[in-house]
Amino acid sequence: MARYAIVFDTRRCIGCHSCTVACRVNNELPLDMIYNPVTTVGPAGVYPNLSMVHVPLICMHCDNPPCVDACPTGASQRRDDGIVFVEDRKCVGCLACVMACPYGARVKNHATGAVQKCDFCKDRVDAGKLPYCVLTCHQKARVFGDLDEPASEVCKLVNGQRAVRLLAELGTEPYAFYIYG
Amino acid sequence: MKNKHEGWGWMLAVDFFFAGMGGAMLVIAGAADLFVGEGRTSALASFLGAAFMGLGSGLLIFELGRPFQSWRVFMNPKAILTAGAWTMSLAIGAGFVYTTFSFALFPWSGWVLVRKLTAAFLIVAGLVVAAYPGILLGRLKGRPLWSGSGMTSLFLTSSLVTAFAAHYLCGLLYPPAAIGDVLAKFPAVTAVLLAVQLVLWVSYLWVKHSSTAAETIAVKRWISGEYAAAFKYGFILAGTLLPLALALADAPLFQAAGAALTLGGGLVMRLLVIYGGNADRTWLPGEVQYRSRLPHGDEAFLKAWNK
Ligand code: SF4
Ligand code: SF4
Repeated sequence: MARYAIVFDTRRCIGCHSCTVACRVNNELPLDMIYNPVTTVGPAGVYPNLSMVHVPLICMHCDNPPCVDACPTGASQRRDDGIVFVEDRKCVGCLACVMACPYGARVKNHATGAVQKCDFCKDRVDAGKLPYCVLTCHQKARVFGDLDEPASEVCKLVNGQRAVRLLAELGTEPYAFYIYG
Repeated sequence: MKNKHEGWGWMLAVDFFFAGMGGAMLVIAGAADLFVGEGRTSALASFLGAAFMGLGSGLLIFELGRPFQSWRVFMNPKAILTAGAWTMSLAIGAGFVYTTFSFALFPWSGWVLVRKLTAAFLIVAGLVVAAYPGILLGRLKGRPLWSGSGMTSLFLTSSLVTAFAAHYLCGLLYPPAAIGDVLAKFPAVTAVLLAVQLVLWVSYLWVKHSSTAAETIAVKRWISGEYAAAFKYGFILAGTLLPLALALADAPLFQAAGAALTLGGGLVMRLLVIYGGNADRTWLPGEVQYRSRLPHGDEAFLKAWNK
């Protein structure tokens, strides 16, 4: 069984937001919904020693997802391959998962009343394709793959470099990893 | 800082108020029955205890994005919200059943053992409902104001203090069937619990203030930020200190006024906790700035786009 993960190489990200737009298009999101923002930290320092980093955010597809534990209807689920998703039909829009997610990865769709989030484009992944944001990133700052496959690029990046997790101290075991410069 | 992020609204805060108070009212009714004797608290209080929880549940349903599918919240036994929904439903039913024992027109009103068993169930279920909002909020690790076990004791104390106040008011409107010896002690109990609540809140904010940076920011909103006036004047002064003084006065009118203020304080506390907790999350790098720049929906370009 695969264990999907994503690595963000912030050294490559130029903060163009193409992934945000691609996600919106692929998931037909209304204007007020974003699954994968790209934030910017900086510029910091004093000229000429300035630094700036762009941080792509997304659902971390946690191994220990508090959103799934919090969901009273069973709409929030985690697949065996690690993909966390919302079964829209079952969601009542109680926002328990929104409040439980420490990463701000969930958004309410005000038209339907349900909560939605990134699902790693699971239908595409099941068909052997890449998530749309990964496909779109022309800087190759997003690397997606199977962490249980030793030959995969994602496995090499996570094990071979100083890949870090955001808010690792909370114990949610996110499967999105970050490589900083 | 304005940030565009989803959060719970006032209806959940009011639900927490009514549900917590209602649950604790049933605890008091059940405990008085079991440990002191029958008819020592007002039947109106046990009826309203159940009704308040029902009212809270109704508000919770309207808070949902899809209220007509609210039955689904009973479906995941592992979720704390599901456990809360089941406990509250059972407590509401038991509360109404318990109330019927006070009226001879119900044929089962003389079944002492069933009444006592119902009272025992009310104590357990009512305590769970009274503490439940605190347990729910305390588990949200990414919410600096709420995370941790402190919220449970704060909510339990507030539920009990508002319940004693509500019992006292109910007793004035519809006196207990037997003697009012227990009821007469409620203002003093309310005063003690108000003092305990004050100490708990000061300790909670003090501990949080000296914890992580995110917790310090969350607490500053209460001490000197946008919630400071509501906290100091609405909750501490009008909702705690003033009712404490009135509860100690030896006149039912003052004590009733104190009880009413205690209820107001409990409501203000819930609103503060919900809105205060909504305001802060453990933000990710650059996220605060990013969210502060997002449109809020009333911008001209958005209106034009959505036409
Ligand atoms: S990032 Fe949030 S929504 Fe995604 S799996 Fe983790 S807790 Fe759930
Ligand atoms: S909003 Fe929907 S997905 Fe989230 S906890 Fe409630 S029912 Fe589950």
